[in-house]
Amino acid sequence: MAAASSTILKAAVSSPSTARLPPPAAAHKLFSFAPSNKKHFLPKPLSKSFSCTGTAQAADPASTTPTKVQQLHVYEINERDRGSPAYLRLSQKTVNSLGDLVPFSNKVYTGDLKKRAGITAGICILIKHEEEKKGDRYEAIYSFYLGDYGHIAVQGPYLTYEDTELAVTGGSGVFEGVYGHVKLHQIIFPFKLYYTFHLKGIPDLPAELLGQPVPPAIDVEPTPAAKSCEAGATLPNFTN
Amino acid sequence: MTLSTFNQQHINSIQSHRYIHQSFISTNNFAMAAASSTILKAAVSSPSPARLPPPAAAQKLFSFTPSKKKHFLPKPLTKSFSCKAQAADPASTTPTKVQQLHVYEINERDRGSPAYLRLSQKTVNSLGDLVPFSNKVYTGDLKKRAGITAGICILIKHEEEKKGDRYEAIFSFYLGDYGHIAVQGPYLTYEDTELAVTGGSGIFKGVYGHVKLHQIIFPFKLYYTFHLKGIPDLPAELLGQPVPPAIEVEPTPAAKSCEAGATLPNFTN
Repeated sequence: MAAASSTILKAAVSSPSTARLPPPAAAHKLFSFAPSNKKHFLPKPLSKSFSCTGTAQAADPASTTPTKVQQLHVYEINERDRGSPAYLRLSQKTVNSLGDLVPFSNKVYTGDLKKRAGITAGICILIKHEEEKKGDRYEAIYSFYLGDYGHIAVQGPYLTYEDTELAVTGGSGVFEGVYGHVKLHQIIFPFKLYYTFHLKGIPDLPAELLGQPVPPAIDVEPTPAAKSCEAGATLPNFTN
Repeated sequence: MTLSTFNQQHINSIQSHRYIHQSFISTNNFAMAAASSTILKAAVSSPSPARLPPPAAAQKLFSFTPSKKKHFLPKPLTKSFSCKAQAADPASTTPTKVQQLHVYEINERDRGSPAYLRLSQKTVNSLGDLVPFSNKVYTGDLKKRAGITAGICILIKHEEEKKGDRYEAIFSFYLGDYGHIAVQGPYLTYEDTELAVTGGSGIFKGVYGHVKLHQIIFPFKLYYTFHLKGIPDLPAELLGQPVPPAIEVEPTPAAKSCEAGATLPNFTN
């Protein structure tokens, strides 16, 4: 846990991932501030430090909520044993059309594919059939359930023909107050997806969720123990 | 929405009413009720047990500078430095204390809700069934009609051993001129859950946090405890002493009839 935290802390202070926001200038100002002001007993710059409002790194001190970005990786796998997806052709047209709704629920595994994490649960709302892309655009609203840790709610585009980025709208448990975004990567449409969450506004994630992720590839599979949900190969009280 | 789609949905709604009537006896019926009251003192002090521990990083940051300044700064000055830190989120001036808000959601069976759309076309509740709903909302002290809930429950799984269902619920609470709060999360017919507060409008603009859903009488009476962050102090009207949830609690007659003074201004009906 300590190793993971220090890794993340280092990432927070140095340059975050390319898709992330630029490091707040204020944080650098804060860290470089103290040494220069030790020169005098009570230098004027020191009074500036008290009005130092550029505490973006310690943003939100009253609630002590950190604002560093934490990455979380999960796999979503449809093992075809949950009756999912349920394609509701409510448009009553032969081609996928606005009006079709697709509730779904699949299994979620940790990024290292060693533990069954829980499920996804939600709905895809067909927006448009993209003829030239040979695919569809959906608006997806769903949650990732991660056992006793809580859930993460997301909303955004799901395109059957390319990767997308969804908004993280909220969460519960350790994810309470979370915000950020998640990158959806389709490995095998529509059975295997790989998500990279960029989460802000929450304390350090537990080590159990931060195992070295297996790079997404067509043949990756959860460990047999995770698939059978054996003791020790699941998150505590994972949702099934 | 085309006419044929609307008609189909209308038919579904009628069929679902018949189903609802039959299933009033069963436990698979559906309604969401909530009442709100607020306990402001809980807002600033210790948050609910499900909350997160303070991050080590922030504490490390604050303790970092003073220890190095020992030789150059008197202790009182160090203390005042940490006082400044209470200018929460100076960059956005958004307050970050937790405010509790309580509401009751009550299905009085006069809104055609819920509309159980058995789109899975299976005899047992299955993925594919959708349940749009809208019920009445009262303030936690049950003295004022606050507005309505509005949204949808997506059936995810029937839990046979729990004799109930798991839904993914996406809906809003409309609180008159104050605005609305949007939520998303799990709704289990057999136990209490915690949903995410995803956003809001009006005085709830920028809100985040979570809400605890407590079912008093499934599915007619529910009690919600919001833990809201990121918004200015809530108005006193929403923070009356909440009536503790119990089976027999009812809104005041004035609130039920939406008499003047017993509703939020321009409450949604």
